Amino acid sequence: MLKHFRVKPQPEQVVPDLGAISLSLLERDATLPFTIRQLNNLPENVKQRLYRGLIPPTLLTRFAIDPIHWINTNKEPRVFLKADSNSGKVLITARNSSDSSDEFFALELADNSLNGIELNLIVLNDPASLRYSIDETEDGQPTMFGTLNRNLKAEEQAFHAGLAPGQVRAGLGVSRMVFEQIDTFLSMLGHRAYFLEPLTYASAWVFERRGFAYVRGHKLMDDIHHEFQPGGALYQCLDDGSPFRKREQAHTVRGRAWAIHDGILEALNVRWDKIRMVKQIGRNAGVETFPQAEY
Amino acid sequence: MTSTHRITRAAHLESLNDFREFIKKQCARVPDINEEFLYDVQLAVDEACTNIMTHGYADLNPGSIILDLEIDPDELTVTLTDFGHSFEPSHTPIPDVDAPIEERALGGFGLFFILQSVDAMDYRVTEDGNKMILTKYLRKQLKENNEDRSET
Amino acid sequence: MKTEVKHDKNSTIVVVSGTVDALTAPELATVLAEQVADGHVNLIVNLVAVEFMSSAGLRTLLGAVKDSRSHGGDLRIASTNPGIEKVLKMSGFHTIAKVFASQDEAISSFGS
Repeated sequence: MLKHFRVKPQPEQVVPDLGAISLSLLERDATLPFTIRQLNNLPENVKQRLYRGLIPPTLLTRFAIDPIHWINTNKEPRVFLKADSNSGKVLITARNSSDSSDEFFALELADNSLNGIELNLIVLNDPASLRYSIDETEDGQPTMFGTLNRNLKAEEQAFHAGLAPGQVRAGLGVSRMVFEQIDTFLSMLGHRAYFLEPLTYASAWVFERRGFAYVRGHKLMDDIHHEFQPGGALYQCLDDGSPFRKREQAHTVRGRAWAIHDGILEALNVRWDKIRMVKQIGRNAGVETFPQAEY
Repeated sequence: MTSTHRITRAAHLESLNDFREFIKKQCARVPDINEEFLYDVQLAVDEACTNIMTHGYADLNPGSIILDLEIDPDELTVTLTDFGHSFEPSHTPIPDVDAPIEERALGGFGLFFILQSVDAMDYRVTEDGNKMILTKYLRKQLKENNEDRSET
Repeated sequence: MKTEVKHDKNSTIVVVSGTVDALTAPELATVLAEQVADGHVNLIVNLVAVEFMSSAGLRTLLGAVKDSRSHGGDLRIASTNPGIEKVLKMSGFHTIAKVFASQDEAISSFGS
């Protein structure tokens, strides 16, 4: 009889390595999970057809882009697919004009080392809104969403304009639609979950509302909430010491996110690092680390 | 008619109370569930969650535990999903590394208590987490079986 | 979890209320260890007001039984409720230490 359990030394690869997708593989089992790499090794036209399923048609028609042909009314291409053979990544971007800075949609999925799926990038921008150059320092160096370098002037403007850290433009307000589309696409692929690492406290909050749970960092999120209460260690640090440390920031998701971006977590001896989230396809985990939050 | 409910909390010991209270609140709606049944379910859930918290997420920045509760007329099922280290069956116990020697000899009660409190336990490592599935049969079915037996 | 300590002629009574789980058991362990360290080696633990106890609580009690006995005393349980009784039975606690139906009986067991 089973008497004990012990911790497995290595994580288990649940999704098998299956080789190229062939008709006979497809016929074998309707539920086998496929990797991005397997998809990327299919012929071009098959890839185009399948990856069409990753972007909501409604989002494209909103910008007068044909959801099947991916072109605008002037027959100019507006949606771009990068899905190289033998690559485990796929990147889809969509723009409102020929200018790449008018990109309103960017999504990258990738295989991880266990043949699971990572969401590496999701950007949903309103191209009609004002752009803040938080992504570049004043002398043109990339900031990597403000994580490598910071453009403090642009950040302050963005903060006061109501953006969250890491955003160059206001959001489109379509995250629910886009995430439901991702769930549908991945269920077609045969996956039961996918993973991501939230860039900021604000993105983690958005992902919670989209139904994500935490692989790592749920306790940290609980601790952050606790310490932003009056009397808490983070609350004490909102002392006007910088433009991103105002007292009222304790009460909103964006406010907290900017304070964290500004380094306030050093008061807890931690960094915004190694937070990892998971979405079970078709399920909402109901996580709310900041109950009744004002964004 | 099956009812399903879900609660997700951080995998640290402070959350044990929330999980127990959740079970209590949901079971209060079911007339067939008495105090003893409730305690058994709470105990199994508490022991399983404690294992996940202390061993599954050991040395890690703790993630979530998702508790799914399903109650139908014949049985109650709790599924605990976590994203920490997976477990595997073993003939040797998980060492309680923080405890002094005497207490280590007493360790390993957790799984034993779980098995004593529920009718079936299953553990699966899946793409959407490690899942411990605990099932307890409801009295109604047992009562019916007893009645059938006494008629023959 | 709350504990209340009362000293009697031949024993010390620790009345526990609330829940004794993996979070709160270390607190109970500390209370019991402090009593033994202070020379109060005859311990009575009253569990009637404990709403929930898991194996963590059990391990704490067994550890304190060993501790008190190794100092020439003993730990006895006074008064339980159905849930606690079940946990004690599941672990065979009754074969290791004495469990009494009431606090008075437990006090008497340590003699006068």
